[in-house]
Amino acid sequence: MNVVTRGVKNALRSPLRSGAIILMLAISIGLILSMLVARSSVNAKIDEVKSSAGTNITITPAGVMGFAGGGDPLTSTQLATIKSTTHIESVTSTLSDQLGTDDTSLTSSLELGSFGQRMMRFEGSDSSSNSSTEDMADMPAPTPRTTITGTTDPNSVSTDGSDLNITSGTTIDGTSSDLIALVGSDLATKNSLEVGDTFTAYDKKITVTGIFSTGNKFQDSGLIMPLATLQTITEQEGSVTSAVAKVDSSENVDSTVTALETALGDDADIVSDAKQAESSVSSLSSIASLALAGVIGATIAGAAIILLAMIMIVRERRREIGVIKAIGGTNRKVITQFMTEALTLTVIGSIVGLALGVLVSGPMTNSLVSSQSSSTSTASTVTPGEGGGPGAMIRGGFDKIGSNFTQVTSSLTPEIFASAIGITLLIAIAGSAVPAWFIARVRPAEVLRSE
Amino acid sequence: MLKVENLTKTFSGASGDVTALKDINMHIKKGEFASIIGKSGSGKSTLLSMLGALDVPTSGSIEVDGVDIAKLSANKQTAYRSKKIGFVFQQYNLIPNLTALENVMLALEFGGVPARKRKARAAQLLEDVGIEADEQMRKPSRLSGGQQQRVSIARALANKPSIIFADEPTGNLDSETGKKIFDLLHRLSRTEKTTIIAVTHDMDIAGKTDRTFKLRDGKITA
Repeated sequence: MNVVTRGVKNALRSPLRSGAIILMLAISIGLILSMLVARSSVNAKIDEVKSSAGTNITITPAGVMGFAGGGDPLTSTQLATIKSTTHIESVTSTLSDQLGTDDTSLTSSLELGSFGQRMMRFEGSDSSSNSSTEDMADMPAPTPRTTITGTTDPNSVSTDGSDLNITSGTTIDGTSSDLIALVGSDLATKNSLEVGDTFTAYDKKITVTGIFSTGNKFQDSGLIMPLATLQTITEQEGSVTSAVAKVDSSENVDSTVTALETALGDDADIVSDAKQAESSVSSLSSIASLALAGVIGATIAGAAIILLAMIMIVRERRREIGVIKAIGGTNRKVITQFMTEALTLTVIGSIVGLALGVLVSGPMTNSLVSSQSSSTSTASTVTPGEGGGPGAMIRGGFDKIGSNFTQVTSSLTPEIFASAIGITLLIAIAGSAVPAWFIARVRPAEVLRSE
Repeated sequence: MLKVENLTKTFSGASGDVTALKDINMHIKKGEFASIIGKSGSGKSTLLSMLGALDVPTSGSIEVDGVDIAKLSANKQTAYRSKKIGFVFQQYNLIPNLTALENVMLALEFGGVPARKRKARAAQLLEDVGIEADEQMRKPSRLSGGQQQRVSIARALANKPSIIFADEPTGNLDSETGKKIFDLLHRLSRTEKTTIIAVTHDMDIAGKTDRTFKLRDGKITA
C-alpha cells in the first residue's frame, strides 16, 4: 500500500463524515458549474442580440415622439445631409399626419375612450385655455382621428420587423406620387372599403390598392400612403417626421451616429438599433455578473469546506501524524497522504457535483433569464401615443429581442466543463495547503509527550 | 555503540526555563538490554525522545555508531529513525485504519524496502512475534492489547534496527501478557543482537535487564 492508496483509503475512513463533506462540496461544485453555464449562455445570447441588432439609425426631429411634443419636421436639406453621410446605404423616410372629420370622408375605427379624450383635451381651445374639468365640460365632445403614414417603404409600418401583411390587394410603391393608399383592416371594415374603392382626404380622391393587417388595433385603424403623395396633399413638401438610415456595416454605426450628430446638431434626436439593443440586454449583463459572483462565491465556499474539514481531520489525527513521523515518515510523505485524502474527497464531490450541475444548469439558466425577461418586457412596453411608422419598427425590433431572451438555452461545452474541473482542483489545493502547513509543524516528540 | 555525554534539555515556558535533563552520561553496548526507571516527571520520556531523535537536546551529544545524531539535519534524523532505530510505545500507536500487516508494511515502506518484498517480510515479522495469519489481516481495534503490542514490536523490528526504544512497553498490559512481551524483547536482544532501551515503572522488569539507569529530577543517580 503506497502513500496515495493510504490517502484514498483514509478519505473514506469515516463514511458519515466523508459523506457530509462530499455532499457540501457537491452542492458548491454543482453551483459553480451551473453558474459557469449560465454565464456562458447569457454572454452568448448578449453577443447574438448585439450582432443581430441591425445597423439602422433612427433620426427624428428634436422634441417629437409620435404625435406628442413639438418642433419642426426634418427638412429636405436635412434629409439630403443624412443621405450624403458616409457609410449610409439607404434612408427610409416617413411623414405622419392625422385626419380630422373635416379632412376626410372616412370615419375613424378608433373609440377615443377616456384616455383618448384626455389626450385630445387641448384640441379646439386657444393657447390661453387651461385644462380644468369645468373647461373640458364646456367644450364639444372630441372626435377620434385617423392616422395617416406617408413612407418610402410601407414595410416599415409592420410591427414585428417583417414585411407588412397585405390581406387583400397589393402593396404600394413608396416612391410613387399617385393618389393611392393602403387601408388598415379595422378602418376598412368600419368604412366598408375594399380594394379599388375610393375615399377623400384633404379634398383629394384616394384609391385603395390594398388592405393590411398588423394585429395592432392602432395600426389597423390607419392609412399608409407614398411619402410624396402625403407631402403634396398636406402641403408639407420635403418634410418628414422620421428617417431610418441603414449603415453599411455594424462597425461603422457608432462613427455614423457621431457624424450625423455633428451634421444635424440639436435639431434631431439620433438613436441607433445597436444602442437600443445594448440597453435592452443590460438585464442579461446583470445576470452574467451575478453568475460570475456565484462562481467566485461557490469556489470560496468549496475551498472553505475542504479547508475546514482537513483542518479538523489533521487536528484529530495529530497523534497519528506524530507516529508516522516517529517511525520514519517524512513530512513530504505525510503531506502527500493528506493532500491525496483532500483530493479524493474533492474528486468524489466533483463527480456528484458535476452530475448535479449538469441536471440543474439548464433549468436554472432558463429560470434566471425568463424572470429577467418578464421584467424587461414590462419596462419596454410602447406607449400608445408613439403612433406608427418608425415607432412600430422600433417596437418590432424590441419584440424580436424580447423573444430572444426566453430562447437562451444553457450550453455545457467542454471548455466550461474543463473550467469547472480546474476550479475544483484549485479548491483541493487551496483547501489542503493550510492543513499541510499544520502537518509540517507536528513534532514527532509529541507522541511521547502526550502519554 | 550508544554514547551519551553531558546531555541537557531545557524547556522554555511562561513560568521560565525548566531543565528536564541535566548532564546525562550513558554508555550502552551493542545487544545490551538496558532499562531506565524513575518516577513520573523524572525525565524518562524526554530522554527517550532525545535518544530516538524525536527532539533535539539543548546541549551535549548522543553518538550512535560514532555519529552524533543531535547534529544531524532534519532529513537525516528522519532517515535515522526509519533505518537505525525502532519504537515501541506504551499505547501501541498503531495506525487504526490499517491492518496489522499494513502497519508493519508502512515501516518497511519508510525504510526503503521495495514494494514487492514488503508483504512477505511483514508477514514473517508478525509470525515471529506470534501473530497468526488471520490476525495479521485484522485492524488494531480487533486485536487484544498484547497482540497490538506484538504488532508494534514487529513494526519496530521491520528495518532491522540497531536499537529499539521501548516506552513503558508493558504499561497497558496485564502482568502475564506483560511478562510475555518482556520475554519477547529479551529474546530479540539475544538472538538479533539488538540493543534495547526500555523505560519502565516495573521494578521486576528492570531487575531482569542487563543494566538499569535510575533517573531522578533529570539526573542519572545510579
